[in-house]
Amino acid sequence: MISVENLRVVYHDVISVLNGVSLRVDDGEVVVLIGANGAGKTTLLRSICGLIKVFDGDIIEGDIRSGDTSLLGLDSMDIIKRHRITYVMEDRPVFEYLTIEENLEAAAFSRRDGEIKKDVEQVLEIFPPLKNIRGKRAGYASGGEQQMLAIGMGLMTRPQCMLLDEPSLGLAPLITEELFRIIEGLNREGLTILLVEQNAHAALSIGHRGYVMETGRIVLDGAAEELIRNEDVREFYLGAGERERKSYKDAKRYKRRKRWL
Amino acid sequence: MVDFIQAVGSGVLVGLIYALLGLGIVVIFKASEAFNFAIGEFLVIGSFLFYVLFFDLRLPFLVALPLGLAASALVGALVERLTIKPLLGRSPMSMTIVTLGLGFLLRATVQLFFGSHTYSFFLDLPDITLELGSLIFLSDPIWAGMLSLATFGLVLLLLFRTRWGLAIRAVSESQARSMAYGIDARLILLVIWALSATCIAVAGIMISNFGALAAGSGIVGLRAIPVVLIGGMDSIGGALLGGLIVGVCESLVAAYIEPHGMVGFKEVAPYILLLLVLFIRPYGLFGTVRIERV
Amino acid sequence: MKAKTVLAALLAAAMVLGLSGPTMAKKIVVLSQFPMSGPVGSLPEFGWGYIDGMNWVNTEGGGVNGKKINWYLEDFRYNPTVEVANFNRYCSEFSRDEFLMATGYITGGLKPLIKKVNVEEKIPWLDGSYSTEIFGPEGGPSKYPYYYSLGATYGDQIKVLIKWIKENHKGKGRPRVGFVISPTAWGRDGPPEGIEYAKKIGVDVVAQIEYPYTATDATSQCMALRKAKAQYVIYHGFSGAGSYTAIFFKTAKKILKGVQLMGTHYTTGRFPILVCQDAFDGYIGVATRPFSDAVPRSQTPMDNPMVKLAHEFAKKYRPEEYKKELKGGGIKDMFLYMEGLTYALIIQEVLKRADKAGELTREGVKKALDNMVWDFKGMFGGKKFSYKSHTIPMLRIFKAKVKMVKVGGRMVPTGGVYPISDWINTDEIEW
Repeated sequence: MISVENLRVVYHDVISVLNGVSLRVDDGEVVVLIGANGAGKTTLLRSICGLIKVFDGDIIEGDIRSGDTSLLGLDSMDIIKRHRITYVMEDRPVFEYLTIEENLEAAAFSRRDGEIKKDVEQVLEIFPPLKNIRGKRAGYASGGEQQMLAIGMGLMTRPQCMLLDEPSLGLAPLITEELFRIIEGLNREGLTILLVEQNAHAALSIGHRGYVMETGRIVLDGAAEELIRNEDVREFYLGAGERERKSYKDAKRYKRRKRWL
Repeated sequence: MVDFIQAVGSGVLVGLIYALLGLGIVVIFKASEAFNFAIGEFLVIGSFLFYVLFFDLRLPFLVALPLGLAASALVGALVERLTIKPLLGRSPMSMTIVTLGLGFLLRATVQLFFGSHTYSFFLDLPDITLELGSLIFLSDPIWAGMLSLATFGLVLLLLFRTRWGLAIRAVSESQARSMAYGIDARLILLVIWALSATCIAVAGIMISNFGALAAGSGIVGLRAIPVVLIGGMDSIGGALLGGLIVGVCESLVAAYIEPHGMVGFKEVAPYILLLLVLFIRPYGLFGTVRIERV
Repeated sequence: MKAKTVLAALLAAAMVLGLSGPTMAKKIVVLSQFPMSGPVGSLPEFGWGYIDGMNWVNTEGGGVNGKKINWYLEDFRYNPTVEVANFNRYCSEFSRDEFLMATGYITGGLKPLIKKVNVEEKIPWLDGSYSTEIFGPEGGPSKYPYYYSLGATYGDQIKVLIKWIKENHKGKGRPRVGFVISPTAWGRDGPPEGIEYAKKIGVDVVAQIEYPYTATDATSQCMALRKAKAQYVIYHGFSGAGSYTAIFFKTAKKILKGVQLMGTHYTTGRFPILVCQDAFDGYIGVATRPFSDAVPRSQTPMDNPMVKLAHEFAKKYRPEEYKKELKGGGIKDMFLYMEGLTYALIIQEVLKRADKAGELTREGVKKALDNMVWDFKGMFGGKKFSYKSHTIPMLRIFKAKVKMVKVGGRMVPTGGVYPISDWINTDEIEW
C-alpha cells in the first residue's frame, strides 16, 4: 500500500508544484488520478518512484510510504527492486534505437534471475501487436505499439505496483480501448495500478477509486462511480454538463466553488 | 600511382588509430552530450600506466597489456566519479568545460610523477613489415592499425551483443528513462567513461610505440576533433569513417602537397575538410540531425 | 644553496666589509638563464651544474681574485619572451657598474635584445645559441659586439659534416646529401651556408625536407629521401631527446637502409641512444662539447679533464641525483650538468681577467672576452681557443655505437658516442 501524506514538491528551488498532496493506493486497486495539464500529476508520480531529483525537483515536506517504510531519499533503482513500484513515464518511454525485444531485455537489466527470456515471451503474449514487430526498432513502431512496449517494459521489472502516466495520450480511441482492457486484465491478475489520465472517462471506468488534482492539491476524491456522476467532474473533465450551452459570462470557472466538498 | 597507394595505405593504418580515439569521444558524447577535451591526457596516462607495468616492472606483454588497460579503465572511472558525476543533471556544456580544466590538471599530475622528459618505448612486436615492390608498410603502423581495428570490433561486440552493452545503449538514449526502469544510469556512465579511457589507452600505447612517450605526447589526441565532427559526434560508424578519412587526408597531403613547401599543412588539412563537410552536413556525415525550434 | 640565501649572506658580508674598511667590496652581478623546463623538457640539471659551479667559484675556487660573484639564476622555460622580460627586470634593478654579464640559451631571445644589449646596455652576453645568423659571416662581432656564443655556429657544424662526407665518400659519383630540418628558426639556421659550401666542393644536395616536432610518423619524409636517393642525411634542428627524433630514426633505419644518418649538436648525445636504441647505431654527428655520458654511466671514458671535473662535481655536490640517473629526480644526462658548470667556470675566468687588468666594468669584461685565449680547463683536449670571432669554434665529430643486450629478460641499449676526429677549430680551417 502506498500512502502519500501532505507532500510538497518544488522544482528548480523556486517553482512550487505540489502544495500538500495526500492520497492512498491500496493493494490490488486501480486508483485513478485525473486533473488538467500542469496540475502536478506527473510530479507526484516522479516523487513516488524516486526520480524527482533527476528533474531538479525536491520534496520539501511530507512523506511517501510503501507499507510502513518511507520512500523519501531512495532512488528509483531501490524503489523498483525492494518496493516493487515501477513508474512508466509519460510520452511512451521507450528506447527508440533498440528493437522491441532489446527494449524488454534492457528493462530487465537490474534483474539477476534467469527468467528474463521467459518474461519477454510472456509480455509479447500479453501484447500481441508487439509480437509481430519484435525485431523492429522501437522508434519505427506506432504510438500504440510504443505505449504497449512501455508498459511491457514496466512489467519486465516484475512490479507489484505500476504507476502509469497518461498511457492514452495521443492514441486513437480503439487502441485506447484495447490498452485499457489489457490494463484492467493486469490488475485482475494482482497488479496494483495508479493510473494518471486526462481521458477521465476511460480511466474512471476501469478504476476502483479516484482523485482529482488541481494546481498541486487534491480537490476531490471518492469511489470511481461517484466521481463519474459528480457534477463538477462531469463539467470540467468529462465534457458533459447541462443541456444548454453555457455562455462564458456565466462560467466563473474555479471561482464558482470555493470548496470542493 | 605507387605513391598514391602508399599514401592511402599508410593513411588507413593511422586512420584506424584515429578512429579508436574518435570512438572514445563518441561513446561519452552519446551518453552525456559532453566532449571530453582531456582526451590527450587520457592517452598519455594510459600509455604511462602501461609503461610502468611493462618497462619498469618488467611484466610480460600479455600480462601488462590487460593490466594496463584495466588500470586506465580505473582512472577513467575515478575521473568520472570525482569530476563528472557531481555535474549530473547539469548542462552538458558544463561537463565539457570541466574536461578542459581536467586536461590541465591531469597533464600537470603526469608531469609530477614522470617529469617532462622523453621515455623510450619499444614493444618489440614481431616484425610484420610489408614490402611489395616499392611499397613499404612498416611493422609498427600495421600492428597499430590491426590492434585498433580489433579493439573497435570488441567494443562493437560489447555494445551490441551483451547485456551491459544494451544497458549502455539505453542510458545513452535517455538517462531518465533508464532510471525509471531500474537501470543504474550512474553506474553505466561510470562504465562508459572506463570504456572510453580503455579505448584511448590502446590508441596511446600504439602511438607511443611509434617513437617515444613524453608528458606532452597527448597533443595528438586533439586529432580526434575533426574525426568526430566529420563523422558525426554521436555516431560510432561515423567515428570509424571519420578516422579513416582524416588519416588518409593527412597522408595524401603529406605526400603530395607538403613537398611543395607547405610543411605542417597536413595538420591543417583535416580541419579544412571538416569545414567543407560541415557546410554540406552540419551534423557530420552520420550524426543525428537535430531539428530544433529556435 | 639557493641564490637568494647566498645573496643575503654576501650582502651582509659586503656591508660589514664596506663599513669597516676603506676597501669597498664592489658587487659583481651576473644573470644566467637556462631552459630548465618547458617544451624542451624538464632539465633542472643545467641549474644544478651552474649552482654547484658558482658555489665552488665563490668558495674554494677563489672567486674573482678573492671577490665573490653575486650570481642569479632564472629558468626561462625555453620561452624567448620570458628570457627577455627577466633580463629587462635585472637591468632596471641593478646599476651598470654592478650588473656586468648576462647569459642566455635561445636563439629566439637574441633577436629581440639586439638593440638593448649591443647599443643601450652594452653588456656582454654569452649564449648557448650557435646561430649562424648572429654569429656567422653575416653577423659576428662587428654587428653584434656584445654577443658571444659558447660554441661553433650551426653553419660551421654543417660545413664540417659536409667536409667529412666529401673526404670519406666511397664509390663513384658525387655524394648525395639530404637535409631534414625542423620548421623553426633553429632548423633553418645553418643549412643555407652548408648547402652553399656543398655546391662549392662538389657535394650534391638532393633534398631539403621539413619535419615538424608534432609528427607522429616520419614515413613520408623518409620516402621522399628514398626517392631522392640520398646517401647521407643531415638531421638538424632537433633535440636528441625528443620523441620526434625517436620516430625519425626508427623509421629511417627501416626505410633508408644503407644511408648514413648524421646530425648537429643537440641531436648528438646520450638521449637518442635511449629513445632510438639500435636505430641510432652508426650515427655520425658533430658536437661542441665532449660527450660525458655513455649508457650505462659506468662506461663513461674519463680521459677528458672537463668531463672528469664535471663528474667529480656531480658526485660531490649531487650524490643522490647522480646515482639516480634517469629515475625521477636524477641527472638524466651529464652533458646538461656539465653545460651549467662550464658557464660558471667561463664567467669566473672572464671576470678574473678583467679584474686583473684593473677594469672590472662591462667594457673591461668585453675586452677580456675579445682577447681571450683559453683551454677551457682542458675541455678541448688541451687545445686553446680564441674568442675573437665571438664563438668558441671547437667541434668534434662523434660516431654512435649502440648494442642491444639482454638485461633481466629484456633487451636494453648500451653504448655511447665516441670521437672519430680530433678537436677541430673551425676558425682555422681553409674552407
